[in-house]
Amino acid sequence: MLILLLIVLPFTASILSFFVKKQMAKLSYVVSRAAVVELIIALVITTLVVKDGTYQFIPYFSVDALGALIMMIVTVVGLAASWYSSGYLAVEMSKGIIDFHKIKQYFVLLHLFILAMLFAVCTTNPILMWIAVEATTLSTAFLISFYNKPTAIEAAWKYLIINSVGLLLGFFGTLLFLYPALQAGQGGLITWQSIWANITGFDPFVVKMAFIFILVGYGTKMGLVPMHTWLPDAHSKAPVPISSLLSGILLNIAFFAILRFKVVVDLVVGPLFAQQLLIFFGIISILVPAFIILSQKNYKRLLAYSSIEHMGIMALGFGFGGNGVFAALLHMVYHSLAKSLLFLSSGNIFLKYSSTKIANVKGALSVLPITGVAFIIGFLAITGVPPFGIFLTEFTILSAGIQQHPAVTVLALFGLVLVFVGFFKHMVAMMFGDNEKQVTHGEAGKWTVLPIIMLIIILVTVSLFIPAPLTLLINSATSVY
Amino acid sequence: MISNSTQILFFLQILLFLLVIFMHLSRKSSSTITLYLVQSLIVAVLLFSSALQQPSWLPLFIAVLVFVLKVIVAPQFFYRLIREHQITFSASTYLNAPVTLIIIAMLTAFTYSDLFKPLTVLTEQNVDMLPLAIAMLLISVFLVINRKGALSQMIGILSLENAIVSFAFLAGLEQAPGLQVGILFDILVWVMIATVFATLVFRQVGSLDVTAMKNLKEE
Repeated sequence: MLILLLIVLPFTASILSFFVKKQMAKLSYVVSRAAVVELIIALVITTLVVKDGTYQFIPYFSVDALGALIMMIVTVVGLAASWYSSGYLAVEMSKGIIDFHKIKQYFVLLHLFILAMLFAVCTTNPILMWIAVEATTLSTAFLISFYNKPTAIEAAWKYLIINSVGLLLGFFGTLLFLYPALQAGQGGLITWQSIWANITGFDPFVVKMAFIFILVGYGTKMGLVPMHTWLPDAHSKAPVPISSLLSGILLNIAFFAILRFKVVVDLVVGPLFAQQLLIFFGIISILVPAFIILSQKNYKRLLAYSSIEHMGIMALGFGFGGNGVFAALLHMVYHSLAKSLLFLSSGNIFLKYSSTKIANVKGALSVLPITGVAFIIGFLAITGVPPFGIFLTEFTILSAGIQQHPAVTVLALFGLVLVFVGFFKHMVAMMFGDNEKQVTHGEAGKWTVLPIIMLIIILVTVSLFIPAPLTLLINSATSVY
Repeated sequence: MISNSTQILFFLQILLFLLVIFMHLSRKSSSTITLYLVQSLIVAVLLFSSALQQPSWLPLFIAVLVFVLKVIVAPQFFYRLIREHQITFSASTYLNAPVTLIIIAMLTAFTYSDLFKPLTVLTEQNVDMLPLAIAMLLISVFLVINRKGALSQMIGILSLENAIVSFAFLAGLEQAPGLQVGILFDILVWVMIATVFATLVFRQVGSLDVTAMKNLKEE
């Protein structure tokens, strides 16, 4: 029942937003309340999952440990992005950049986007999951082209076409995974359970081929190199709260889909096949962005490339196996929080400097004291500086790989160092120096600051002290995936 | 019944395959849309013939939905797009026709190679046709990559979806009607959104040639 509520709520919020007339306050009210209730429901479901292992509504909607983990990420980051959206869009409206009609469109689509992500996590049918992931593409296309600028339309077109091709290839792979269950006469909706029950009917070659299609398909959505080309454009052109959701949540949803299929592949052909593929995609997804970050000129693109790099780290964690899997899942939590924090902070910087070019931002720490500190904390967290959790997870992933894959591990370490150097250089350039443009000091408003502070508190807390339920969820997920 | 006749099925599968090749060679936007319309019609006929053999009316309903969406609604969206913007010729390709045909031949040969032979476990009846469906899939992806026109890219994606449907039909991987309705709804929304974006692209660059969009490169 709770799953039904969780899915119905954003849908209702979307409809309510659609009928709001000329009152920004009402839109903010709907989005903030909906986000809080979604978080509460997710918390209750997660508590039940921690207690019982899974929470099931009907056989076609069920949440396991990994699902609960991602559901919590969706609702926490969703809450921060929803609250921030109200403040951010209000400032943009006051500047005359957007009108009420655009804001209404934004909130209608935002709720649908969150709905699609929650649906993808909760469903146990691979085709429904695919439909939900495809729905995330459709609901976000207009959010990426939100400002109707030529660059935004170009980015949205690229996003739509590349992701559609990728997801159709993923759909083809999904169909191949369903054949033993179909041949066994499984009628109606096929769940993961029925796929596992018919595992003996799989042909190893078909499973390998299907997984390659899955990895290319959902890997496109996840932003793995070389299917990543849409990501820096889309993430940098979307409104900042949407960028935080795209980077902080959506990439994890795509990875979640890959992991669901990986379980089947591991059971049929052994873990080595999927691990080798994940190592390959993981290492190139670390190295390619690392070099680009070094010479990046746009801070939103910088954050987008950083997301690709972190998806690579997670893929590498699963590729190395062992402790790497636990670390990769914990990394997912830290990355989501840190990246959302950075994107939302970058939104405040953009509101003040009206530019996403690194060269145009100087002395942000003195101009925006809270945002500046938040950005520095985000930088330290995302580049894996202790005591932030990403240091622990990256260290564990590299430790897991050093014996079996020393060359890959060294290359990954080299990539991480490059990212740190590049990021550090850009962060210093933006945060310090003279405020040459004579930008007025001060934050834009409490709703552009409070969500950021909330994310910092959560990030620092889970970095210094991993809550027992979180450890339990990740341990439970590690035993399956 | 058609589905009992392997020869007719093979003939239709060859037609589907040839239509994707003709899409590659077509230069006129209206021709590309018509080719997609015919391709979709064949897919609808395949589903219809299969549905007639089943006791439930739901597969028949799905076949009718496929017909309405892919043969009537989607082409209408595209025809309206070219009418509104008076686009006669679609944008050119990255590769010339001979090279395109060579690549198509290579992709087809690849799907008939030993690499794909184990796929025969999926079906014994239509085993010779599966490589053709996979070739259609790869050639559709190649259409999206090779074409510079936004409209051709959209049709390439829909042709890819037709290729997957024909593969699923041949391999007996058809999904429950409820899921098929969901997928069709997804396609309908996709067609509408892609058409709106194609219009936006046209307004920005004055054509549907996506290579004219260079703003992101200059950043």
